[in-house]
Amino acid sequence: MRSLLGAAIDEEADVTLVDMEAGLEHLSRSGGTLAYADVLLVIMEPSRKSILTGARTIALAEELGIPRTFGVGNKARLPDDAEFFATVAGEYGVPLAGIVPQDPDVIEADRLGTPLAPGKGAAVRAAVAQIVAFVDKELVGAG
Amino acid sequence: MKLGVVGKGGTGKTTLSALLAKSYAERGRRVLAVDTDSNPNLAQNLGLDLGVTDEVPVLPRSLAVGLGDGTVTPASLIAEYGVRTPSEVTILHAMRVSQAGAG
Repeated sequence: MRSLLGAAIDEEADVTLVDMEAGLEHLSRSGGTLAYADVLLVIMEPSRKSILTGARTIALAEELGIPRTFGVGNKARLPDDAEFFATVAGEYGVPLAGIVPQDPDVIEADRLGTPLAPGKGAAVRAAVAQIVAFVDKELVGAG
Repeated sequence: MKLGVVGKGGTGKTTLSALLAKSYAERGRRVLAVDTDSNPNLAQNLGLDLGVTDEVPVLPRSLAVGLGDGTVTPASLIAEYGVRTPSEVTILHAMRVSQAGAG
């Protein structure tokens, strides 16, 4: 049965982005509509532990029937962390949707508790745009 | 299209969620951003003032997983519980964590 939220998502939005703070398991039990994404992105830090957590999340997402799950390597100090993400994600079988560089503008915005100001964080914005293009392509590929 | 974003605290999940939502909006898509945190801060990352953020009503569970009492339509759900942010993204606060395990 489709929930009213599900209907609103289908009819009133082209893209619904769900910040899944409660975690996949919680949402799958009681969040219904919100748990079942077309695409799931797992945000990871440049640490082995974080990428392993990503791999576990992907396994759980597959069990739940989420069709496409990708890791995103965040806070990457380039160029070393790009290689680290690629290598370790490969080891754990985590497909990457993109790598987002660490950016002083983002750190500053976090400190101030404000959104990233227009014109700031160009490299981060470019990386995010690439992820959007990647996701679009994956969805087109799926028909 | 429904895009879920997960990640442990401190990974930058909310910052990236906001930037992803904005990027879709900049491409002309109608974007709904749903924050499932009981201590939501995605709205702030989308440019909403803290005072306004605190007043965003939480979507009742009956509408998140059920069909409500018949008086709410998909459009009125968004009108009543959604808040338009300066990023041209509509934010919705759904499900307190205290409700999360209750199903």
